[in-house]
Parts: sequence; C-alpha cells; structure tokens
Amino acid sequence: MVVLEAEVRERPKAAPAKGEDARDTERKEPRSPVRWALLGVLFVIMIVPVYLLMVNAFKSQQDILDNPFSIPLNGLTFEHMSAAINSPQFNVIDGYGFTLFLVVLVDVLCIVLAGPAAYAIARSLKRRTQLVLLYFLAGTFIPGAAVIIPVIYVLREIGLANTVTGLVAHDVASTLPVSIFLFVGFIRTIPVDIDNAATIDGAGRYRTFWSIIFPLMRPAVVTVLILNSIGIWNDFISPQNLLSPSSGHYTVTTAVYAGISQYSTDLTKVFPNLLLAIAPVVIFFIYMQRHIISGLTVGAVKG
Amino acid sequence: MVELAKLNAGLNDRSRRQARLRESAVSLGMMGPAVLLYTVMTVVPVGVAVYLSFTDWDGFSTASFTGLDNYKHLFDDPSSSDAWYVTALIAAVGTVLMVGLGLVYALALKGRSRSNSFFRAVAYFPHVISALILGYLWAAILGTNGAINNTLAKFGIEPVGFLFDEQFALISLIAVIVWAGFGFNVVLFVAALQTVPAELLEAAAIDGASKRQINLRIVIPMISPVVTVATVLNLVGLIRAYDIVVSLTGGGPAGSTQTFTYLILARSFEGTKVGYATAQAVFLMVVSAVLALLVTALRNRQDQAATS
Repeated sequence: MVVLEAEVRERPKAAPAKGEDARDTERKEPRSPVRWALLGVLFVIMIVPVYLLMVNAFKSQQDILDNPFSIPLNGLTFEHMSAAINSPQFNVIDGYGFTLFLVVLVDVLCIVLAGPAAYAIARSLKRRTQLVLLYFLAGTFIPGAAVIIPVIYVLREIGLANTVTGLVAHDVASTLPVSIFLFVGFIRTIPVDIDNAATIDGAGRYRTFWSIIFPLMRPAVVTVLILNSIGIWNDFISPQNLLSPSSGHYTVTTAVYAGISQYSTDLTKVFPNLLLAIAPVVIFFIYMQRHIISGLTVGAVKG
Repeated sequence: MVELAKLNAGLNDRSRRQARLRESAVSLGMMGPAVLLYTVMTVVPVGVAVYLSFTDWDGFSTASFTGLDNYKHLFDDPSSSDAWYVTALIAAVGTVLMVGLGLVYALALKGRSRSNSFFRAVAYFPHVISALILGYLWAAILGTNGAINNTLAKFGIEPVGFLFDEQFALISLIAVIVWAGFGFNVVLFVAALQTVPAELLEAAAIDGASKRQINLRIVIPMISPVVTVATVLNLVGLIRAYDIVVSLTGGGPAGSTQTFTYLILARSFEGTKVGYATAQAVFLMVVSAVLALLVTALRNRQDQAATS
C-alpha cells in the first residue's frame, strides 16, 4: 500500500525532475572500467542465449551443431521455422489461440470477482470483513504446484475434471488473493467522500463501484492485468495437470513440453518452437516494458 | 457528509436497522462469489491435502487412514531427504547469488538515464518468459550436443557434462535459475535506491566519504528493509522450483537435481503413493507459510517504520 500510495503521489512530482536528474547522474557518474566490465558481462550473458535461439531457429541441424554461434549467410533457411508453424502436432501457433483465450477469460473473471469484493472489504469497518481479507491473504502462502493433486480430486467431485471450465475456475481462484490485496490497498487511498457523493446522487453500491471507483483504480487494474496475464500465459503446471492431452486443448507451454520431450535431439524442431513460444512475450515486454517492470515490482513487494 | 447525517437523523430506528441489514446483504453479495470460488478451488483442496496426507491413498481405491505414518517417513526416506537437500541448496545458494548480483547491478544502474533503463530491461526480461521454456533453451545450449560443448570440441576440449554429470547438473540448474531471476531483484533494489535522498549522499561526499563508503555505510543500510523482503521472497519462490527442473534436467542425472515439488508431482503421477506425496505437499506448505509469514512480519515492521 505504501508503494502504491507513494507512486501515485510522486508521479507528478517526479516527471518534471526527471530530465534534470538524468543530466545530474550523467555528470557525476564516472565512466569507470569496472562499471563497463560489469555491464559488458551482463549484456553478453543475458543476450547470447536469445541470440543463439534466434540464429539457430533458421539453420540446418548440421549448421547448428558445427557453427552454433555463427550466421551462415547462405545457409539460413526458413524451412524448419515454416515446418514448426505448419506442424500438425503440438503446434505452438495453435497454442497461442487457446492460451490467449485463457488469459482474457481469467483476466475478465478475476476483475469481475475481485473488484467488488475488494471494494466491499476496503470500505467496511467491520472486523469480520477484515478477516475475509486475511482469509484471501492466506492463499498467497499456498504453493500451487504442491496442491494440484488435491485440486484434481476436488474437480473430479464437482464434475469439472478435465474440462476447460475446471481449469479456468482454478486459474481465476489462484489470481484472487494477490488481486484483491492490491485492489484493497488502492481503494483505501481513494477518499470515501467520493462514495458518499455518489450515494447522495442515488447510486447503489454496485453502481458506485463500477462507474465511480473502478475508473479511478486504473493503475491498480493495469498492474493486476499484467501480473495475471504473464502468470497465466506462462503457467505450465495447471494446464498440464488439469487438462489431459485427450481434451484436445493445449497452451503454448504444454505444446512445447509435449513437442520437445519427443524431439529433444532434433534441434531443428527445438529452436523454431522455442522461438515461436518466446516471441509474443518478448514483443509484449518490449512494448510494455515500463508498465511491466513497475507493475511486477509493486505486485511482488505487496503480494 | 452533512446531508448524509440529516438523512440518517430523519430515519427511525426500525428503518435504520433495515438499512443496515440491506447494507450487509449488498456487502455479502459483493464478496460472496469471490469467497465461494476461492474456497472451493483453493481452501478445500488444502483441506483435502491435509486429509489425504494421513492416508495411504493410491489415487484410485478407497483411502485408509494410517495416522502419522506418512509424516514419519518424511525424513528417513532417502529420495525425500535428497530432494530436501537439493531444494535447500537451490534456495540458499540461489538467494545469496540473486540478492548479491541484484545489489551489485542495482548500484551500477540506479541513475535515471536511457542506457540504465535499457540495461535494467536486459537484466529483467527472463522474468516474463515461462521458466519451462527458459529451461529448454538452456538445455539446448548446455547439452552434450549444445552450443558450448560443440564450440569446446573445436578446440579439442572434451565435452563437459553440464547437465549429465551429477554435481555439474546441480550447479548448472542453480546458475540458470539465478540467470533467470536476479534481474527482478535489480529492478526492486533500483526502485528502493531511487528513494534515497540525494542530499544525504551529497552531504556525505562533501564530508569526504568515498563512493565505496557511501554505498556500504549509507545506501545499503537505507534500503536494507527491501533487501530483507527480497531475500525472503526469493527463498519462498525457490523452494517451489519446478518448471525449470522439468525442462532443464528432468530431475536427473540419477535424481541429483530433483527438487521437492518435482518429487511430489513425479510420485503422484508415476507411483501410487498419493497419500505420501500429499504429506510432502503439506510439509512444503508449512515451510512456505513460515517463510511467507516472515515476509509479512518484516513488511509490517517496514510499513510501521515508514509511517512513524
């Protein structure tokens, strides 16, 4: 909460000071060789794996084995990439569709459920409502991977085993604790007078929330959407265990898992599929970088 | 506010009670769906896990109650204690390296400039990619036919068993985990460092403190609450390591990189000892909860310090 508040309060102040600040640090920071060595090592270590991935996705098996680091200008081929794109089995591109569907559905349901709940918790002064917040908070202590088997057991009991509905229900439930926690913190920074004014104008609680408070929560909503979207997109354990291959649905991660565990020695299958799996996330990251970094920092410190 | 008070004053006792009741009903309606879904999908499974952990359930037949038997085996079963050793080593060494590298790079990249934000993003980007996929990428680089070994072979150097030698595999696993995760600490620490007042550092510099002294004596102590929280967050995250183990080493060679979560899931699906596996899951949950409660306690202390 402190972080959120600080961010909101400081933003207008920080913006004009930024240019000045940048010049300051530029002047003061000595261009020491140690610093450049540090940054050089960082750049090489972080970028070389991605470089290898991109280059080797367009080479033949022999080229990958003989010259993993080089770019053979006349040896580059789109053959294996198009094979991966058109592969009938474990197709990563097909996985995009189902994964995106999951992300959007879970995001929407999470906001619809977490928003009003957080509002009721944030505006209530009753002790028992505060216990509800603690109840949700306890969910952040549970390691999801370790309880996936009991989740299957419960889904079987309520007839949702091996269904997309079951997977979505589990995913939404797993996003609720952190989302509600962040929302409650943020709503508490919005003055109650605004709610009272809406009440006097005749708006009910739902109306007040959705048309007055919710639009004011934009920064918190963006944070939650980013956190959840990345989490669901990258999730492997729940789609792998809650949907069997016979369901016919697979996500990017389960497609990569199924494909690579079969063809791990055929690097012309490994690299193109990995590149296809990483590409959308990296493009999204480059595009949204600033939001993602600030969002995840808030989420982590507070979640 | 005045209007509301007048409105309230105008109501008699009975209708006020009705209004309060309606208010509670609306409140319940707002929280109800979230509470229900969360209870069924998260809390009930935990209860089921606790129940199953006291049985010898094999996943199919009816479970019979065996009391504390599963918990008794938790430490005298060799594969279980090996997994604990691996998990604890990953968590401890990984956390030290990730926090250490995070601090070093945060100090180097704390200034607000374009090049610094570029390098921060470079350090951070693996955090948005699935750990499963990062594991496969590194497996393709470190394997016997991988980029590194093929290049070494050109210089006549024997292939290194990064993933196939028992001791090397664990080192490789920790290295890849640190590679994927330290950038998060960089970003966290940079955010904290930017709140350290510039006047303080200037004053110290005027008093003749060296850059090193300023960092060690002023900057790091000032962000120590964030460092503590990051330490525990890393610990909690690392004792749950799973995806990257699946894709990088598959727990091998010879189980040398099996983490606790990996063991739990492998046992539940391959073997028939679901009861025993859930006992391990419950135990892991307790350890997670203890560490996570520690974060909350530290955070509360930090919040109090911030407000006082």
